Amino acid sequence: MLLRQGEPAAPPVAGPAHRLKAGARGDGRLAAAFLAPALIGFGLFYLYPALRGAWYSMTDWNLLSRPRFVGLDNYARLLHDPLFWNSLKVTAGYVVLNLGIQLVAGLGLAALLHRLTRSLVLRSLLVVPWLVPNVTTGLLWMWLLDADLGFVNHLLTGAGLPAQGFLTSPDLALPSVAVITSWSGTGYTALLLYAGMLLVPRHVYEAAALDGSGEIRTFFRVTLPLMRPILAFVLVVSLIDSFQLFDAVAVTTKGGPVNATRVIYHYIYEQAFTHFKMGYASALALSLVLVLGVLTFVQMRLLRASASDLA
Amino acid sequence: MNRPSRIRIGRPLAWACLILAVVISLFPLYWMLRTAITPGRELAGDNAGLLPRHPTLLNFERVLGLTTREEARAAGGSGADLDFFRYLGNSILYTGLVTAVQTLLCAMAGYAFARLRFPGRDLLFGMFVAALMVPPIFTLLPNFVLVKELGWLDTVPGLVAPSLLMTPFAVFFLRQFFLGVPRDVEQAALIDGAGKGLIFWRVVLPMSRGPLLTLALTTAVWTWNDYLWPLLVAPGEETRVLTAALGIFLKQSPNTAPDWTGLMAGSVLSIIPVLLLVVFFGRRLVDSIQFSGMKG
Amino acid sequence: MNKAHLAAGALLLLTAACGGSGGPGGSGADDGPVTLTYALWDDAQQGAYQQCADAFHKANPGITITINQAAWDQYWQNLTTQMVSGKAPDVITMQTTYYPQFVKNGQLLDLGPMAEADKVDFGQYRPGLADLWVKDGKRYGLPKDWDTIAIVYNTALVKKAGLDLGDLTWNPADGGTFEKALARLTVDTSGRRGDEPGFDKSKVAVYGIVAELNDGSQGQNGWGDLAVSNGFRYIDKNPFGTRYFYDDPKLAETAAWFRRLMDKGYAAPYDKKSSLGPDVVLGSGKGALGITGSWMIKTYLDSTEQKFAFAPLPTGPQGRKSAYNGLADTVYAGTEHPEAAWKWVKFLGSTACQDIVADSAVAFPAITSSTERAVKAHKAAHRDVSAFTSQADAPGGTFLLPVSDHGDEIDQIVGTAMEEVWLGQKDARTALTAANQRVNALFTAGG
Repeated sequence: MLLRQGEPAAPPVAGPAHRLKAGARGDGRLAAAFLAPALIGFGLFYLYPALRGAWYSMTDWNLLSRPRFVGLDNYARLLHDPLFWNSLKVTAGYVVLNLGIQLVAGLGLAALLHRLTRSLVLRSLLVVPWLVPNVTTGLLWMWLLDADLGFVNHLLTGAGLPAQGFLTSPDLALPSVAVITSWSGTGYTALLLYAGMLLVPRHVYEAAALDGSGEIRTFFRVTLPLMRPILAFVLVVSLIDSFQLFDAVAVTTKGGPVNATRVIYHYIYEQAFTHFKMGYASALALSLVLVLGVLTFVQMRLLRASASDLA
Repeated sequence: MNRPSRIRIGRPLAWACLILAVVISLFPLYWMLRTAITPGRELAGDNAGLLPRHPTLLNFERVLGLTTREEARAAGGSGADLDFFRYLGNSILYTGLVTAVQTLLCAMAGYAFARLRFPGRDLLFGMFVAALMVPPIFTLLPNFVLVKELGWLDTVPGLVAPSLLMTPFAVFFLRQFFLGVPRDVEQAALIDGAGKGLIFWRVVLPMSRGPLLTLALTTAVWTWNDYLWPLLVAPGEETRVLTAALGIFLKQSPNTAPDWTGLMAGSVLSIIPVLLLVVFFGRRLVDSIQFSGMKG
Repeated sequence: MNKAHLAAGALLLLTAACGGSGGPGGSGADDGPVTLTYALWDDAQQGAYQQCADAFHKANPGITITINQAAWDQYWQNLTTQMVSGKAPDVITMQTTYYPQFVKNGQLLDLGPMAEADKVDFGQYRPGLADLWVKDGKRYGLPKDWDTIAIVYNTALVKKAGLDLGDLTWNPADGGTFEKALARLTVDTSGRRGDEPGFDKSKVAVYGIVAELNDGSQGQNGWGDLAVSNGFRYIDKNPFGTRYFYDDPKLAETAAWFRRLMDKGYAAPYDKKSSLGPDVVLGSGKGALGITGSWMIKTYLDSTEQKFAFAPLPTGPQGRKSAYNGLADTVYAGTEHPEAAWKWVKFLGSTACQDIVADSAVAFPAITSSTERAVKAHKAAHRDVSAFTSQADAPGGTFLLPVSDHGDEIDQIVGTAMEEVWLGQKDARTALTAANQRVNALFTAGG
């Protein structure tokens, strides 16, 4: 499975890694014992399903009937499916919005935390939304953003502004979904970035202060450049995570209005479990693997590049 | 956000921003509670004030199954049967089982990849890394079919199977951690004649409590919040988990509205366990996220 | 494959100790006591059917019925995954949009031979209902209930507007007296009505109509009824036609009229409508009138916030037309107890059960005599439901909703096209013509 927001970030390959040669005797048996459960799990629930998924993608299976081999028909269809391309477009739009909001707001929050306080309570409070199940988050915000009875619209109308159909207007629906997921993820992102800021040595700031650099200047000239590795890392995690948006959409907009929020994950799900086109859904999923593979590769390059920059 | 460049005006303004952020984080949750204590029948006309006009605990009673179907419907809610404590139990079982077993087994696997020498190690590990890139939905469909073929739909084994033994991420994470652990300690134990297996249990595991807890906490939160998989493989009454059970407050029949007050009461109850986690493990939780940040 | 199963077996052993169970196993002897599961979605009806189940158990002590209720939003997905796993409920409440695809995949039992052997009298059901459940000479269900459509309105608001909604007219050009009534019922924040000078459509306090426009391919709760009263026909043959007529200008005119209501401020703009469902919005007093189905009778009349009453739909150029639809009880093809399941379905489709449903007044039963009983029950509770029943009895007053293959896909295609119209992204003609081409392509693409 992929990194998703909420899974801790993996430490990158560290320095003292390959010094195994010293105690050079095979640990075959112990290794087999230690690895057996993980390998069974991997084989059964990753490898085998992946192979099966690839097979389904070349059939017309509908869950209930016998699969029939159709070659590359599903892929040919996919190339001409406007909804598939639309879902990629929508997903990309969401990724940009979500990343933008989370990075900017997360950085701002992290900077505030870093410069103002070490309060643990405050940090714990900020991370609470991340602990709320996505489904609950979606339902809660659907209620808060309701066009008629939602609290946010009460605020708007109270301030003399017109009420908005946040989740029912094609222009607002996707940004609203991005705001919802950002609400849940920003505190977490901020904490990651805050930790990164703590790593910047104190004397760097002192030097900057001696030079007469203001807070803002210091932030952009000193803090930010030194945080490039962690920023790149957060970018990778959030990017891949954003591509898998499902719960919030499934609960709030169900892909509407007029496909405005039909992200790729939801589209695949719908093909599989609403229309029971398991074959086509598998072809869609495999295409997503390809897209993500390319993206991850590019990102890894980026990550490595920025890491070596600062080493 | 922190536009002020002069400290004197800047600091209060910065504090204001920070407090605003906390309010934005928490207010929706307050609204959840506020809706949960509003009588269902009054919600349509009473949804703007900070407190409901006639606060009630009836919605919680409904969720906990303390009312009859007729009472629930009379209160403007769903008359569907709801066995909250069973769903809670299922969620705890699902989360506990996956977190404990997965963390332990992945620690073993991670250690093997980091410290043991055996043929094909790099190839195997390469496969695990590759699996990191496969979106879960790709394996979700065939896994659903597999669980079905094993006859495990609506059973606990079916629910936990795909994540119980490993996730590529957990193995990857812990392997990276073990790589970074200084070898001196193990070396010393080796010289004392202890086998590598014993060293793992006696020395390495106790040393690694921090990262293990980090992984366990996040795995727990993530499993607790999992929705799609349990909904697919375990929709049955016996194995339904909390997130899936909340769906019961959705539209009961076409053209009706969700039972908002019941839904919000159920949501409040469903996040109490995670809030307890914050209260008791606040430092640990924050540290563990930051730990990831530092290592990033 | 074998190894995988072995390993999986080991996993089962590992986890079974932790409270899992490996499924019930197949003890399929029909002579012992039998437990049947019965699936339905409407929680409001669960009580009545529980009474049926108890009565049935009394008559057949060997058979116990367990009712399995799931919200509409989850019902169909649950059902499919259960069918995939071969563990679907024995008896399933079925709806016409969904049933063709289950039939196509052989998931429903042909009840014809058993119905014939037991001499079920299909004449006892209201006309048309029983025929919906026959495909290619095979019968898949016994009718359970029916519903029609009427106007629901807030009595206080209508009285204040000085209106009588008893006999409205409608046409797609100027909207007839229906549109005049909607204009009158719409009130802006400064108290001016929609038909008064100075009405500010950007600041509406009470909308004339809370329309259910996100209504799939059938428009049962509004556009479909008016379109048919304007001369629209959905499909060449019902049930199981293969050509749809969504490109009919009569439908486009109707859709365009609904869209104009939004432009005039009599209905909430589609992009600002509540996601909460008309019953809640009407309950909050932010709307005066809606178009609703008879399954909602109790929800509205039991409301404590507002007083509601029902009125017949407006009369269109081709008369007054209400959608007429019914549910049925079907048997899962994979059931281990087909005979017991049939017994239960037969009981559900008989007066013994339908009279119980009638007395609880939650739905109109499919049997004519039971319907009369339901009407009496409503009357006894001082609920006036004549808007629904007289329409059902009026000659030519109803039309059956289309039943065909590809129901789920058509629902999405037409539903999305309608959304484009409501949002003003496309004009009705263009959107519906394009949608109709895609719909009919489903039938020619050899599916």
